[in-house]
Amino acid sequence: MHLSIVHFEYSIGVDPRAWRFLPEAARPAELRSRSPKLLPPPPPNRPPTFAHLTFLPSAKGSMSFFGFDTNLPRDRQGGPAASRGFFENPDPFAEVARASALEDDDAIDFEDTYDGLGDQLDDDQDAFNDDTFGGGGGGTDTGPVGKDFDFFGKTATVADAIGEEQIRYSLQHPQAAPAAGQSAQPAAAPAATATTKRSGYEKYSDPGFIPDLQAKSSVWGISQKKPEPIPTQAQARKMMSLEEVEAQMRNQGYQSSPVPQSISQHMAEPSYMRHHQDITLPDGFPTIPPEVLRAQLERGGPPPGMPHPPPGMPELHAGPPPGIQGMPPHLMMQGNLPPQNLPQGPRHAGPPPNQRPQQIPPPTTRGPNGGLPVITDPQQLVHLTEEQRNAYLVEDAKRAKRNHKIFLLSRGNGLMTPQDKNFITRIQLQQLVAAAGNVADSDPEAVLAEDFYYQVYSQIRGAPRQHPHQPLGHFAQTYLLQTGNRVGGHGNRRAFQSADNHMQRMQQQVQRAVEAAKAKPKNKQLIIEGSLGKISFSNAKAPKPMLNIKRPDSSEGPRPKKLQSDLSLSDRKSILTNIERVYSALMSMEDMERTMPPPPEEGDAEAIQEHMEWRQKVHALNQKLWHSLKVMEPIVPNSTTPHPFIAFLSYPKGKKAIPRIFRHIDQEQRVTILTMIVVHLDSLDVVRLAQPVPGEAQFSVAMREAIDLFSLAVMPSLLGYVNEAPFNIIIGLLGLVIAQTHVQTVARTKVGLGILTMLLSRAEIVKEAGQASERDWQQWVEKFNVLFDTLEPALADIFPGSINSGDDMYVWQFLAAVGIGASPEQQQRLVIAVKDRVMETVAYSKTLPAEMSSQRLGNVNLFMRAIGLDVELLG
Amino acid sequence: MLFFSFFKTLTNQTVTIELKNDIRIRGILKSVDQYLNIKLDDIEVLDLDKYPHLSSVKNMFIRGSVVRYVILPRSEVDVGLLEDATRREAANQAGKAR
Repeated sequence: MHLSIVHFEYSIGVDPRAWRFLPEAARPAELRSRSPKLLPPPPPNRPPTFAHLTFLPSAKGSMSFFGFDTNLPRDRQGGPAASRGFFENPDPFAEVARASALEDDDAIDFEDTYDGLGDQLDDDQDAFNDDTFGGGGGGTDTGPVGKDFDFFGKTATVADAIGEEQIRYSLQHPQAAPAAGQSAQPAAAPAATATTKRSGYEKYSDPGFIPDLQAKSSVWGISQKKPEPIPTQAQARKMMSLEEVEAQMRNQGYQSSPVPQSISQHMAEPSYMRHHQDITLPDGFPTIPPEVLRAQLERGGPPPGMPHPPPGMPELHAGPPPGIQGMPPHLMMQGNLPPQNLPQGPRHAGPPPNQRPQQIPPPTTRGPNGGLPVITDPQQLVHLTEEQRNAYLVEDAKRAKRNHKIFLLSRGNGLMTPQDKNFITRIQLQQLVAAAGNVADSDPEAVLAEDFYYQVYSQIRGAPRQHPHQPLGHFAQTYLLQTGNRVGGHGNRRAFQSADNHMQRMQQQVQRAVEAAKAKPKNKQLIIEGSLGKISFSNAKAPKPMLNIKRPDSSEGPRPKKLQSDLSLSDRKSILTNIERVYSALMSMEDMERTMPPPPEEGDAEAIQEHMEWRQKVHALNQKLWHSLKVMEPIVPNSTTPHPFIAFLSYPKGKKAIPRIFRHIDQEQRVTILTMIVVHLDSLDVVRLAQPVPGEAQFSVAMREAIDLFSLAVMPSLLGYVNEAPFNIIIGLLGLVIAQTHVQTVARTKVGLGILTMLLSRAEIVKEAGQASERDWQQWVEKFNVLFDTLEPALADIFPGSINSGDDMYVWQFLAAVGIGASPEQQQRLVIAVKDRVMETVAYSKTLPAEMSSQRLGNVNLFMRAIGLDVELLG
Repeated sequence: MLFFSFFKTLTNQTVTIELKNDIRIRGILKSVDQYLNIKLDDIEVLDLDKYPHLSSVKNMFIRGSVVRYVILPRSEVDVGLLEDATRREAANQAGKAR
């Protein structure tokens, strides 16, 4: 009820016909603001609230407002269905009646406008109404239908069926149609208003919609199906420009102006003609020449689809609302309007079978039906057997589906220009080239140079790739295979062949790109003539240089400080330079190792020659390395600057180099290094700077790291040599320690004790093995006694920090080494010297958890057992 | 190519990337390219309170030029090897420059 009142409100201000074709949202705001949507929506099926009650007609036809008849047509018609909302039951007759009520208080009698067609309806056959109009929507009370019921959308879903029905109907009543059309016109017009309560733009709200732009062959006058040629007038009309249309309209207005509303009609005319041109008329069906149609138009007959006023109301057109004049409703809706939404064929004057369902493709799509006859026109469908028709329709549905798919896929079509695509391809190629690196030169050395870390890391960490060249091929292959798969998976025809081609083409392209890149002169800059700036080229491997510094032509450029740096061998810079030289030599030697030729066979002069050359190169590198190490620099006694080699060892990377160096030098060089270290034992950073400071439990982090690094990197190398060294060298080394170094200082450090332990234990092993000659042994004992006497006073101080620091194993090891080699008398003195520490440790270990306790006691036992005792004896 | 070579060895490791706009993202390094663009998977944004718009992001592609730091798992770096690789790179560069 409230909805009815709203329509009354429209009636006051604006001609409701102006807006009835527009959806709610398209109406002007002031109209919408008065729409009940902004009012609190009254609950359905309940009496309206006060605002509405005011205007409620109290009795049928008894209330008027400002002289208007406020009774609604359906009230007048007296149906109990009047309680339904306007939108819920679009009553075409109500529109007609209401429109007339604006002008005239006289209500149109329903019987006047009703042609009795409804009586012909067969109520038994509405079983498919739901299918046609959407679930329950067709019924009056089968379910709630909202105000936003999408009538058009629902209808469109069954457009096929409607189209078929039209065809069927027209076949059944081929003769009766034109006559019925004439007589049905008054009713047809109201029916049209019912279907045109839309803007015609609904389809545009569907994102997938594209207007039907199919080219009709008939438009171009080549339609061979037509028995009659298309009237040239109609064709000309089709192609007319706006000016021409206007001129013609003016002329026609003068020539035949009995009809006052000619403008809107002539505006409609071209479109009307077009509708008829779209139709491919089959043979044997009555055809009305366009001249007849035109004549009918000029008589005032409405074009199909145009809301037609009922007879007896010509004044309706006399004053159309100003805003609408240029855009009659039927124009607004035509164009995008599918034909099946127009009034049904038989009802108007056109040839009956001319409503083509939109889904049937234009005649141009012929051919792919296989065994089916070529369908160029829906009319042909009816001549087919049921099977053929079904097959055709299935085919058609498939095609529609495919077209839709193609459409979905083609949404991005045209988004990229060919230049864009080229650009992308170039980037991809460039990446391929860069990532594949030097596929073309296929030189593992070059690959290793470019990608050293990754290649070696992969080998070290057991990555799947085994040899350096593999990842590149692997990469390219992956890429190309991927491309091939994509192509191959797309369609089954020519899949493999095209995939192969694709791979080949890609490979060739890469090859060419690499060659071109090589051939290109390595110009890093482009200076355009007359310009001030330069353009620098760059790529991923050689980024654009921010600074352009001219290097001296020769590496022997002006280096004034060179002499000076040679003089001071132990300043930081020269030390670091030395270290780098060592590393450079080392890396060269490691490279040489990789390229070592296979051991030559007897008689193969060439291989022997090759091997000799290789050996010479290795020797040269060895000399370079040895020279860089500066081991042979003269020892300057009492010098303030440390020996270059000792300085070398004071840097972490120097320490780290030792194991690598030891792999590439011979025994003589190794003993030289060991000697050098032993001679300078107390000036090593890990000895000199690692003296325990009373009160400080630990060294600095850097010092601890240095000690750990020395223990991990240097000591094993030295130990490796010492374990094989002849006894006399051990004796000599011990003598050097005693003679050249401050033994007590050395003994207070982990590294110093470690080296002493190394020497002592080696001597013990030699003695046990019986390899030592009596004279050598005597010499050793002499030295040992000196060492013992020197160390004895400091024995209590060689333990690091407090007792609970824990890290004293190396001390017990040293004591054990001393204890084994010591005489019984020395052993006694040893026990006395370290007795306190032993007792403390045993007592302390009792307070510790079992695991740590046994570890500590085990350390002590190292020493105790060496002198024939055991911590167990201590209770 | 040293950094590229280096980062390649870190694929499938968890790294933390700090961008030049201070956003820090932890995730699994899926791949890296010659421009040091980075693909991260299973990401987790540190200081998510500040960047709630990233809370639903699961993986990302980071343009190399916006990266400030890449924080690496120490155990995955072979320092000695990296030092040598650096020396080689320097030698290569010096060789190219001449």
